[in-house]
Amino acid sequence: MLFATSIYLHLPLMLLVISLVYSATRHEAWDEILVEAFRWGIRMLGFMAIVAIVLFGVSYLL
Amino acid sequence: MSSAPPAAPAPVPPHEPSMLAAFLSFLVPGLGQIYQKRYAKGILFMVSLLGMFYLGQAMGNWQNVYLPRGGHANSLGGSLMQRWHFIGQFWIGVSSWPAVWQFFGGSMPSEEKSRFLHNYQKAPSEREVNDFLVNSDKTPDLGWVYTVIAGMLNLLVIYDAYAGPMFPAGVKRPESDQAGPKPQPAAGGAS
Repeated sequence: MLFATSIYLHLPLMLLVISLVYSATRHEAWDEILVEAFRWGIRMLGFMAIVAIVLFGVSYLL
Repeated sequence: MSSAPPAAPAPVPPHEPSMLAAFLSFLVPGLGQIYQKRYAKGILFMVSLLGMFYLGQAMGNWQNVYLPRGGHANSLGGSLMQRWHFIGQFWIGVSSWPAVWQFFGGSMPSEEKSRFLHNYQKAPSEREVNDFLVNSDKTPDLGWVYTVIAGMLNLLVIYDAYAGPMFPAGVKRPESDQAGPKPQPAAGGAS
């Protein structure tokens, strides 16, 4: 089936597009866009890592 | 010998609000920016958002952007209540208009001529949806999320075309915004 791989493989694409587009709407200069996109990428990745750790912890305890 | 200090960069002219550019970006993501000669950003928005939208549709077997008809969905409002995803998808612009066209019964190529075009953004039957979802993994769920995110991100792109970026080129982001609020002296304390 088309795209029938692990849905987690889509995460990097989603992170890249969302952080890049959002940053490009806040800045005009490309160096600033890329720095801001990197920051947002790290923030989102951190948030998802926290959620993953919490879920792993919950599933381990239950 | 003393050298003259480097000349300060010329001030950036303020971005003039443009309804036309905003409308163009609503029609096709990034078109307003291209109209404003901000080509690189326009192409970035166009490729990213349209790519995300169409990839999302493909992941959902081209059956996740539509307005249902019949039952409680006998009016546009009723249809939107039943398929609220479309409120987010709509903002991608022209790419979501076939769903509106199909809802109002506009003519499409016959099924014999092109099955894909005939059913493009047409509300699938419940049986079709069920058969597809039962025989697939979570990819279709992620597919409609892609289409909604693309539509919602285009709202930011439309605003960027209308009012320009928050920080134009040459305007540095304030330090306080980057490092959080500065500590304030205690009330009544010595300065």
